[in-house]
Amino acid sequence: MRQAGIYSGVVSGGRSGPHLLPLARIKKIMKKSGDDVKMVSGEAPIVFSKACELFIEELTQRSWTVAMQRKKKTLHKEDVASAVLATDILDFLVNLVSDSNNPLDLAPVERETLVS
Amino acid sequence: MEPMDIVGKSKEDASLPKATMTKIIKEMLPPDVRVARDAQDLLIECCVEFINLVSSESNDVCSREEKRTIAPEHVLKALEVLGFGEYIEDVYAAYEQHKLETMDSLKGGKWSNGAEMTEEEALAEQQRMFAEARARMNGGVAPPKQPDPDQTIES
Repeated sequence: MRQAGIYSGVVSGGRSGPHLLPLARIKKIMKKSGDDVKMVSGEAPIVFSKACELFIEELTQRSWTVAMQRKKKTLHKEDVASAVLATDILDFLVNLVSDSNNPLDLAPVERETLVS
Repeated sequence: MEPMDIVGKSKEDASLPKATMTKIIKEMLPPDVRVARDAQDLLIECCVEFINLVSSESNDVCSREEKRTIAPEHVLKALEVLGFGEYIEDVYAAYEQHKLETMDSLKGGKWSNGAEMTEEEALAEQQRMFAEARARMNGGVAPPKQPDPDQTIES
């Protein structure tokens, strides 16, 4: 049974089971995240794998909220961009989403309505 | 156009597998909702950027503690500092679960540490470790204001 937006936890198996992102790939990204990255323990990518999953879930959920407000059934890039612009902790993504978007084209989104 | 599905050939190409990411994305949405390809790609890029951000912070946390290897607790601390404190509990649970499962397979299917733990004991142990981790994290830093159910997203 799937319920959109509800995360039942990897411990109990979740929706269709835990999704482990490839640890080697994560480690590679970690290593090139800066010039002076220390050694990465074998366990750190596991933590990242879960954190990424939660992050994507949150971003997807917020983007979907935007799309619904615009009465759309398809999630578009602009919805993701709007969600980023409306969320403080996603400030680090502002440049990423506006590289390919003109921010002025985005329909304004009420911040209060993105409260989850 | 660079094929994003192929494992990175150079340092610049490290990205996350589209299939797994798409699965995660779709499971968050109602079944009749579609996701445009450009939205999928952007979500994946955002995730990579998230790893970069948290990695940098973890690296800093690690340096401040004068350790040479980035450990899970550095990552957890970084998540908190960056405003993703809500993730910590689930992340830690997943980490502990993974460790249990790994130990299980190493010991040929029998999870034993001298004496077998019942599920209650394992849970209690987990809670104890949570508390320890929290205490460690809150040690030198004032914990951020805990969000309440109808928090605004303004910090």
